[in-house]
Amino acid sequence: MQEGSCQDNGSHTRDHAAPEGGAGSSVPDAPMSAELAPAARAPLYAARDLNRCSGLLALSVLLDSSVEHYRGNFHNKAMYTPLSVSTLSLAASVHGVTGRRPLGHKTRLAVFALAIVTGVAGTLFHVYDIIRKPGGFSWQNLFYSAPLGAPSALTVAGLTGFFAERVRRGQTQVFGQDAARLAAITSAVAMVGTTAEAGLLHFRGAFHNPFMFLPVAMPPIAAGFLAYAGITTPRTAYPFTRRLLTATSLMGLAGTAFHVYGVSRAMGGWRNWQQNMVDGPPIPAPPSFSALAFAGIAALRLLGAKAPNGPERLGATKTGATGAVPRA
Amino acid sequence: MPVDFDSRPRAVAGRAPDVFDPKGGFVPMRSYDEDEAVDFVIVGTGAGGGTLAARLAELGFSVVAFDAGPFFRPLLDFASDETAQNSLYWTDKRVCDGENPIKMGGNNSGKAVGGSTVHFAMVSLRFRPEWFKSRSALGYGADWPLDWREMWHYYTVAERALAIAGPVHYPWGPKRPRYPYRAHEINAAGRLLAQGCEALGYRWAETPLATVSAPRGKSPPCVYRGFCRFGCSTNAKQSALTVWIPRALKAGAEIRDLAMVGRIEVDDQGLARGVHYVREGKWRFQRARHVVISAYAIETPRLLLNSATDRFPQGLANSSGLVGRNLMTQSNQAAWGRMEDQVRWYKGPPSLTITEHWNYEDRGKDFFGGYCWMGQGPMPIEWVSVQTGARGLWGERLRTEMMDYNHQIGVKMVGEMLPDEANRVTLDSDTDQYGLPIPRITYRWGDNDKRLIKHALDQMMMSLDSVGATKLFRQEDDTNHLAGTARMGFTPETSVVDADCRSWDIPNLWICDGSVFPTTGGVNPALTIQAIALRTADRIKALAIRGEL
Amino acid sequence: MHRALISPYTNYDVLEKRDSLSWNDATRRAIAKRLSIPRVPRFFSERQWQTLDAVCRRILPQADDRPPIPIAALLDATLLIDDTQGFRTDPLPYDQDAWRLGLKALDIEAQAIYGAAFHVLPPSTQDGLLSRAQGGDLHHPAWQPMTAQLFFEKRILVDIPAMYYSHPTSWSEIGFGGPASPRGYVRMELNRRDPWEAIETSAPRIQEDPYAR
Repeated sequence: MQEGSCQDNGSHTRDHAAPEGGAGSSVPDAPMSAELAPAARAPLYAARDLNRCSGLLALSVLLDSSVEHYRGNFHNKAMYTPLSVSTLSLAASVHGVTGRRPLGHKTRLAVFALAIVTGVAGTLFHVYDIIRKPGGFSWQNLFYSAPLGAPSALTVAGLTGFFAERVRRGQTQVFGQDAARLAAITSAVAMVGTTAEAGLLHFRGAFHNPFMFLPVAMPPIAAGFLAYAGITTPRTAYPFTRRLLTATSLMGLAGTAFHVYGVSRAMGGWRNWQQNMVDGPPIPAPPSFSALAFAGIAALRLLGAKAPNGPERLGATKTGATGAVPRA
Repeated sequence: MPVDFDSRPRAVAGRAPDVFDPKGGFVPMRSYDEDEAVDFVIVGTGAGGGTLAARLAELGFSVVAFDAGPFFRPLLDFASDETAQNSLYWTDKRVCDGENPIKMGGNNSGKAVGGSTVHFAMVSLRFRPEWFKSRSALGYGADWPLDWREMWHYYTVAERALAIAGPVHYPWGPKRPRYPYRAHEINAAGRLLAQGCEALGYRWAETPLATVSAPRGKSPPCVYRGFCRFGCSTNAKQSALTVWIPRALKAGAEIRDLAMVGRIEVDDQGLARGVHYVREGKWRFQRARHVVISAYAIETPRLLLNSATDRFPQGLANSSGLVGRNLMTQSNQAAWGRMEDQVRWYKGPPSLTITEHWNYEDRGKDFFGGYCWMGQGPMPIEWVSVQTGARGLWGERLRTEMMDYNHQIGVKMVGEMLPDEANRVTLDSDTDQYGLPIPRITYRWGDNDKRLIKHALDQMMMSLDSVGATKLFRQEDDTNHLAGTARMGFTPETSVVDADCRSWDIPNLWICDGSVFPTTGGVNPALTIQAIALRTADRIKALAIRGEL
Repeated sequence: MHRALISPYTNYDVLEKRDSLSWNDATRRAIAKRLSIPRVPRFFSERQWQTLDAVCRRILPQADDRPPIPIAALLDATLLIDDTQGFRTDPLPYDQDAWRLGLKALDIEAQAIYGAAFHVLPPSTQDGLLSRAQGGDLHHPAWQPMTAQLFFEKRILVDIPAMYYSHPTSWSEIGFGGPASPRGYVRMELNRRDPWEAIETSAPRIQEDPYAR
């Protein structure tokens, strides 16, 4: 197995140097590439941050699509796809988070690529589900047919994982663009997309609780600052943006609590879970905001490392970048 | 009487049932002395009386509202069962006759606090503006003394109060504000209606419904249980029982349930002094400065006629001779068919989609008036009554056809019937359990009504045909809803009440329910009744301020 | 055994949901009462009951694969406690009187035409008489003030089916979801089914894409 051959490769020496800024104690057993300078650990941490986000997103997709496609009776066998792909994606992310090699991994990469493609295909399926119905792109179908935005979450999970792979290897470029900037902008765009979906569904719920405005109002502001960080000259730190993103991630968790409460107050409450888990507010949905906010924070860290005098300088040397190619 | 229901009044001793309490608790209720002349006695607590009780109490008047029916607790009393829910209807003795006798009972009556809104299908539609001037603008019926723009305002107020769940954009008529709640998910039956409309080139919409699509106060969102033409056992339905009555109680009104008003007493000056009513087997009298009758199109004229005195031998408010006349029902024919697919129409509110095309399109009609049609989801007993009533089926054939229940679809009209003085409510020589003369209800469809029905049936059959339904058949004989019998108008000679629902003959006697409709339009009347009641309350306040009450 | 009379929902019994979230207590009380209805005449006389029972068997022949529904007993109880719609349509009397009168008249017609009580006639002869009532072809004075046709249309064809389809056995037979509160339904689309709904076993063809034109 690839995995085994990679981890057990005795040619790598172990490096016990502490990371910059004392962020965490030394990692005793972290297998590090011999060619990497201590400063080059930042990409690994950033990559693992990104993996956490991709994993959380994949988990959210797994739970959400399980519930929603169960609701749809799995009438089309393709409806099992997001369940299996998000599970794989989740596994790859967990593997990325726990793995301590600053190396890319072909299987992980393949899984993330599959997630990207599945998300796109799912979006097309969902578009078809809407347009074939009477009314086409009507509010009714946007509210109650296959949710347009949902499969994109899998794409974003895949993209985030994909970036993680690149960053882990110390590459500074993805798709010919700067990885840090791209990560920031992707998170920002995904956050706006998620906001659109929350907005749509909260509009469907007639904003019956004033707190329902929060996930529509706050994430776009955070996303705006994040995108701004992504397009301007990197700075060493983004305290305000980081705080906004932290708040957004907390909001995602609070949203889950609100949705749990929402299920409980529906007719029959939790006893009637077979109905209320499916028809009530989606419990797995709000954590997507948290996942994207974490991704944004990881992107900020990458950007910080790129800053001219930054302590977290993305120190991957050319050799580091090339040396980290995983063996087949 | 209901099999299962304790027939003793519940709103007594300063408290009334808390309709939202699953444990059967109470809310405090103000009580008035029978000798104390309250500002308003209201007879009936449905769409008209319930609304008025809440608003008048909120505007600072003392109010006692009577209902002949029980004060239900939806969460505890309502079974998911067609037969058991018979207890919600007015099933006292009545006689129907005429060329096309009206079917009473569940179709068009309620006997409960909240009236028939307790079991109405929640369809909450506005009139087409021209209908308020149908005589001068469209050439039939009679003009209303109300301006549609003013009604548009009160419709908005009513829709907000009821948190109507409706489409984001309503495709017919002048602009209206967005419905407070979003439309519900439409079921298979509703989709097929939409598909049929698109095939015919007509617009369709989600039907604006008085059941919430998201939580609202203590009402949880609708669970799509489908028993919507019965009592809603979850309180998702925004009926007078769950909306107006709690507001009325909170504002200090007293509700007297299981209290049948049998006669309005008039004093020497020809003014109403109060009402005689039966509660717990005893006749009693409540004094009042004003009396409002909101007992709907059969019981309102019956009470006026039963209250005749030497001074008013024809009955109260009846100098025009129009009390009980111009009774209108609405044509409620349907087209039915079978799909290869499983429709399972028992899920969700029955009328999730609608087309009002023929309410707003006047070209190509050989009749006056309009109609809409809506999706259907009858429960088994209602469905078998269609199979036997429209097709005369019985025996093995009937049982076999019934096994197609889950494949059936249908569309049903709500059509305008024109007012006709010969269609009326009179008193019969027979008496009811209270010893009061019972109503005799005489009805005959006019030629215009028949032409409208034929047009609608043809259209609905085309709609079903276009979605691939087979075994199509027409249900030619059904009616629903009531109106007329105490019409509002411009002069005492041609109407019973004025625009404010105040009777021309007795200035402190008011009528506020569907009886005041001069015409009935092609939509379900509940929202219009509530809008009129909202307006009446505001007018009463304005008149009081001017000292004209 | 008549093939068409076998329910397409062979494995479905709505009563299995009795203790589930689909039934609230008010429903359980109402249905328990219906299921324990005494199967003896209380409103009707013995002779009227026999005639009624025979009519019920012809109007709704009972299922071969499920226990019979006590239609006559349900109607007897309904009339006894006056759980009717209350109104009458001229020239029909109120429901109780219409039923007593109509059953008697039907029996008198049977005696007059065939010389035997209705309930002892062979089923095909009973069907013949009922068809003549439906077609307005029975004119014995015993029907007055109603007519045989009005009695057949407004009472027989309204009340007997209403009793039959008020019984859970009939709901199972037609695949109706039955009581639904506090749990309602989730899957509203064409050809979709909640796990607590009936499975159609002898399924007709199911169109894959219902919206395709």
